[in-house]
Amino acid sequence: MAILKGGLSVRRYRIIGELPEGFTDVFVDALNTNQFREPQSPTHKGEASGWCQVHNLLDVDFSDVNLWLYNQYALFALRVDKKVVPARLLRAHLEKRMQAWCSANNRPRVPAAVKEELREALEQEMLQKTLPRVQTFEVCWHQNDGWLLFTSDSELPNERFQKLFLRTFALRAVPWSPLDELVGTVGLPEALVSLGATDLRGSVR
Amino acid sequence: MSEGATELLPPHIAADFYLWLWWRSEEQSGRFSLDEGAPVELYLDDRLALRDTGEERPTTLLTGDSPGTTPEARAAVLGGKVPKELRLLIRREDREYRVTLRGERIGIAGAKLPTQVKTGEVAEVLYDRMFVYEELHWIVACLLRQFAAARVAADWRSEQVPHIRDWLASLDDRGSGG
Repeated sequence: MAILKGGLSVRRYRIIGELPEGFTDVFVDALNTNQFREPQSPTHKGEASGWCQVHNLLDVDFSDVNLWLYNQYALFALRVDKKVVPARLLRAHLEKRMQAWCSANNRPRVPAAVKEELREALEQEMLQKTLPRVQTFEVCWHQNDGWLLFTSDSELPNERFQKLFLRTFALRAVPWSPLDELVGTVGLPEALVSLGATDLRGSVR
Repeated sequence: MSEGATELLPPHIAADFYLWLWWRSEEQSGRFSLDEGAPVELYLDDRLALRDTGEERPTTLLTGDSPGTTPEARAAVLGGKVPKELRLLIRREDREYRVTLRGERIGIAGAKLPTQVKTGEVAEVLYDRMFVYEELHWIVACLLRQFAAARVAADWRSEQVPHIRDWLASLDDRGSGG
């Protein structure tokens, strides 16, 4: 499901704000500033996100506008990496470590503080060996007409996208509403929203 | 650029829109006339999801050929369920779209676009895809405006709803009565 091929599943946005003068150069810098960066530590826990090229998620340099700007359309992607240690595997390994600690120290039980130390050390070891789950969500922005498509309808990626878009371009991406299509007729959106439900089983409320 | 609307359609109004599309597509044999008289054909395709009023998730899912013509679909609506999402086949001139509309955002999902340029320069593929996407968005917007005008009209309650109820009942009778 993507902008360039396959079935298209998108959430549409309106872009609020004026494009800056010489916006292409400004946006090259903005995209490069907010490009995806690998976490510095291999034991980084949690998520990392930033912009990347649509053509290859490893390409994060936007200096060549020919790779992402096609006349009125800007085409790029949001990359989100998340490293998660499998919880059941962590519990299983921790159990073994605790058994080993009890044998080594001739104690029947592991004190809570020691258990926490063992868990943290184990998690760090496992994070080093764990590859992140990588997701990309494509963005196609019609810069002249001020609309944009984002290839996910899930709330979390959309929230992340809106925040990063604002931080990057100093422009607000507002989700398109069907009511936007009705604003040309005075009073129509308000009238529609105020209506009750149609009950086909009996009388209309 | 304007702020535009900040709220979405109430869920029951989005459901009415889907039901209106379904009803009108069958009543008019799929023929609609858009802004400035532009003709378009629209049919319920192979998927219809219904939910109980007050529920978020669909509780009835009908798939296969023409799910809207089945007694199950009509019975579900007469029993109080409302459309949550529907897959449409839309034809305009020589272009054919298949798209799922869903939720109160009238979101576009799984859209099969009638593109001409499948491979080659990225720019050419992109322009072609966006041209047909924009046409699809325009078609949906035209239909939404027509629905909105009908839904707020004074005769919605006295004229349209009885017609919809008759349409639902007639197929339910045929379906259950053979």
